[in-house]
Amino acid sequence: MIRPLRRIHLRTWSLFAVLLPVGIISAWLSVPSLPAYKLFQPVQAEPLPVVVRTIKTEDHIINLRSDASHHSYQLEWINITALSAPSALIYRTKNNGDVENAEIIGRIDPRGLYRFSLKNDTTGNSHFVVYDIIHHRVIEKINF
Amino acid sequence: MGVSYQAVGWNRQKKIYDWLIFAFCALYLSTFVGLTVVFNADYTFETVLIRSTSTLAVLLLHIILSIGPLSRINRKFLPLLYNRRHLGVTMFFVAAIHGTFGILQFHSLGNVNPFVSLFTSNTNYGSLTDFPFQALGFFALLIFFLMAITSHDFWLHNLSPRVWKTLHMFVYVAYFLVVMHVMLGVIQYETNPVFVLIMVIGSFTLICLHMIAGFKEVKKDKVISMMTENGFSKVCVVDDIEENRAKIFCLDKERIAVFKVDGKLFAISNVCKHQNGPLGEGKVIDGCITCPWHGYQYLPRNGQSPPPFKEKVSTYDVKVINDQVWLNPNPYPEGTERAGAPIIAP
Repeated sequence: MIRPLRRIHLRTWSLFAVLLPVGIISAWLSVPSLPAYKLFQPVQAEPLPVVVRTIKTEDHIINLRSDASHHSYQLEWINITALSAPSALIYRTKNNGDVENAEIIGRIDPRGLYRFSLKNDTTGNSHFVVYDIIHHRVIEKINF
Repeated sequence: MGVSYQAVGWNRQKKIYDWLIFAFCALYLSTFVGLTVVFNADYTFETVLIRSTSTLAVLLLHIILSIGPLSRINRKFLPLLYNRRHLGVTMFFVAAIHGTFGILQFHSLGNVNPFVSLFTSNTNYGSLTDFPFQALGFFALLIFFLMAITSHDFWLHNLSPRVWKTLHMFVYVAYFLVVMHVMLGVIQYETNPVFVLIMVIGSFTLICLHMIAGFKEVKKDKVISMMTENGFSKVCVVDDIEENRAKIFCLDKERIAVFKVDGKLFAISNVCKHQNGPLGEGKVIDGCITCPWHGYQYLPRNGQSPPPFKEKVSTYDVKVINDQVWLNPNPYPEGTERAGAPIIAP
């Protein structure tokens, strides 16, 4: 190496000795304490014992589960093949399948098994919509 | 060293080097995929590919950036320097796979051009937490691309060594962009502290290696000969120089290598014309001074590469008086023939 190049190398790394720690520490301090995606992916719940209804397709199995006394309900989603969307939201809807004012049940990713607790619905509403929030399209409507 | 340009100047050493690179990459990727299948079976193929190639590219980048200072600290690392270009091009290809699949997965499913989406889907440039880190990765990849396509002697000669070296010094800018791409990207939502630890250890190691090597070079440059006479400076005694090897001295602005060959001393510039390699750290092979970096050769008596090659370096006057070596730091024009200083046994 020629002398000017040796100097440039040393000056660059002297600068990096300051810049890199500042950058790394700043980025580390800015890590949010509760990552946003965790909101929709709670720790997997244990399955309720009674399978009330099941819908099975080539791509997934959907179970509506409850406890023995039918006081608590649970929606279980099992991906058999990968979902076409990177992620999707499950909504509980009225009969028309409109997600605008629907209740969010949870988020699912392309693979895996998911269980979501359902609030007791005295109207017996068991209509669900799987919705791709990125491309704004309905992936599937589920009617138990 | 070749008379004409070839896409890749293969030789046995380069083939072994490249096979080792390939085996390392294949082993790393298969191990990563295997562990993911065991511990995170739900991950999609695209996710595994993006993660495995990203970590491999970061690892390769750290290895590449540590080879230079390691070679300056300890000569045993010089073989790694010999084919560093291939390692760099490999790193670019791995990073390109990561970038391509990242754009495909996160930006190709919308109704706008993926590259437009890359720069417009997130414009929170004022926020560290939501910073559009993918743009940093894109610019780093762009620099690696320019470096990869010019990683050939054809471009070194046609762009001129100065322009070529300036372009390749942008690797440091790219490294900083990569560090921030990782820190503002995966670190922001990956709770496992191992990722931060890896980046901290990697950066700390590189800073230490470069600083140690840099200060070692500064120390060498500061050695000043106190005894001067008629333009000559006393630099060492004859026995300090091994046969067919050199000792390097920094008398004026640049370093000079004094070689001992066949009972004579010859002084030439320490800087190889190819990539500024340290000729004085090489040795004499088949009568030619051979650069330890890429094997470029020069004749000791005139600093010229043997025909048909045309590279030339400056020569200097050297003399021996009572076993003492005296060196004149004024260079002769590149390729000037000098008789050399006979070593007379005391």
